[in-house]
Amino acid sequence: MIDVTVAVNGSVRRAAVPPETTLLTLLRDNFQLTGTKLGCDVGDCGACTVIVDGMAVNACLMLAAQTDGRQVLTIEGLATKDKLHPLQKVFEESGALQCGFCGPGMLLSAKALLDENPEPSVYEIRDALAGNLCRCTGYSKIVEAVQDAARMRQTPQAHEAHQLEMHGQDHG
Amino acid sequence: MADETKTLTRERIALGDLLRHADDKQKLPAAVPPKTVPVEPLVPQPGQQTLAVGQRVTRPDSRNHGLGQTKYIDDLTLPGMLYAKIKRAGIASARIVRIDTSAAEAVPGVMAVITASDIPVNSFGPTFQDQPVLVGDIVRHAGDGVAAVAAVTEQIAAEAVEKIVIEFEPLPAVFDPLEAMQEHAYKIHAPNSNIYASKVIRKGDVEKGFAQSDRIFEGQFTTQMVEHVPLEPHAAIADWDANDRLTVWATIGRITLARADLARTLTLPMSRVRLIGTIVGGNFGGKNEISQEPALALLSKKAGRPVKGVFTRSDEFISTTTRHPFVMNYKTGVTKDGRILARTVRLVLDGGAYCSWSATTLGKACILASGPYNIENLISEAFVVYTNKTMTGAMRGFGAPQVCFAYESQMDDIAKALGIDPIEIRLRNAFGEGAISPTGQSLHSVVVKESLLTAAERFGWEERP
Repeated sequence: MIDVTVAVNGSVRRAAVPPETTLLTLLRDNFQLTGTKLGCDVGDCGACTVIVDGMAVNACLMLAAQTDGRQVLTIEGLATKDKLHPLQKVFEESGALQCGFCGPGMLLSAKALLDENPEPSVYEIRDALAGNLCRCTGYSKIVEAVQDAARMRQTPQAHEAHQLEMHGQDHG
Repeated sequence: MADETKTLTRERIALGDLLRHADDKQKLPAAVPPKTVPVEPLVPQPGQQTLAVGQRVTRPDSRNHGLGQTKYIDDLTLPGMLYAKIKRAGIASARIVRIDTSAAEAVPGVMAVITASDIPVNSFGPTFQDQPVLVGDIVRHAGDGVAAVAAVTEQIAAEAVEKIVIEFEPLPAVFDPLEAMQEHAYKIHAPNSNIYASKVIRKGDVEKGFAQSDRIFEGQFTTQMVEHVPLEPHAAIADWDANDRLTVWATIGRITLARADLARTLTLPMSRVRLIGTIVGGNFGGKNEISQEPALALLSKKAGRPVKGVFTRSDEFISTTTRHPFVMNYKTGVTKDGRILARTVRLVLDGGAYCSWSATTLGKACILASGPYNIENLISEAFVVYTNKTMTGAMRGFGAPQVCFAYESQMDDIAKALGIDPIEIRLRNAFGEGAISPTGQSLHSVVVKESLLTAAERFGWEERP
């Protein structure tokens, strides 16, 4: 067994796990943070994406032990107690979440992108989300949502003005 | 309400509760209710445009999806729950001579192992009951399950499955649907023919139509097998309690059908089967029937504990239904100005090892095979055949996308050969209001031409290089 001490969503968590335990298993089974999904278990689908020290990673490909002493952000830590993250808000409003299974991973990949590059081009968004598969939406609404969130993070006023222009109505 | 929440300590409130609570009390930007959705019914009368088009609506469940609070089956855990794995045949066509599960049973942590002989009624299927829960005798495709194991961890179950020894006697196999139709072909469900369903639609006199045609076009079009690849793999939890009541949580879109299939395979009255359809992480037609659920139920009965089974991505590809590959032969007679006078269509659907929703797919494909076009003289025939491949079943469109690919491809071929604009040739043949479908149905709210013209205008058809 290996002792792992990791800051998950700002709280220090500890677990003793077998060495082969992945970060995904640690989060889901040891910490009961089931928002991180298992889609393929081989790093193809991105449903298990979490952010480790600012970088989006596939939790199914990272060993729990490798996260010792590091900061992990899961979907459960994206919203604050009283406020949705702008990405969560726009994903919800623009129909970027259908069955929702890819959502947590998609949101965290998008967050890692916006933290690194606050004004990404459509190409950069597509590139950043290339490792996150979705079978419902056809991706268009997801890419639009990330653009909206980027705008919203720049200035909330610009976001509202854009909403008004695009949809001819106040989406608040 | 206010007093009640005050007594809860912060630690005791789940994140989701906090956020929902916050919606009301802490000015969280709530899901935006569309302000302009009209009160009038959104379902239009024939000929009317629905008022729903152009409205933005927010899914009621998307808040929880985005927060990671939605509970899919793999996110549920019951006390004492075991984990199941299924041993796959790994060979496309064979007779099982011997199955030895003793080494698997001896693995510490293994609580139950079952094979075909443990299943009361070992067959199911939405149309024909031609699919076994676990194969006991004849393997018909490599993804056939042969044995199932329940253990205290998923790793132990996977390890135990590897220790199951199966002795096979290989049998001939057939993988090509056209070859499978031949009289001499190996019969996958002997003594029955490999052709397990067919449909023919006749209208008018095709010979006369071809004789009157200026040009006749013939072509073969084929499509490939497609897996649904829902992001959430097939998953279920079965709990057979001490009162012989079975509760199953499953990612199934057709709950009542699944409940009936469970009752049948397990010889339980339906009243003893409770099936809970949870939130599904993508279906697309691939989760419309039972798969591992009866095996999980029997493992639970044997072990006396709830059993969860989650397919690996490999299980998804080799053992769940897929979209039918089609071989489509089209012969179309047209006048010089591109009007279709006669068409014969022959569809061969690769049905894989079991029927699943093939009969439904076959029917729809056959009806739609002539496209949205007025064709006076038509023969449309379709056959679905067994092959030793992963079974094919329901997938978005039930055969419609395959035939659409064929008839539209041929339409382009005809337009090109006759030097007619591809939009124009479609307008000359397309259904109008009151058109009669190949099966004699009078069609209403037909806007094929209008849609085509609007689309052509929007994507700049006239401005194309």
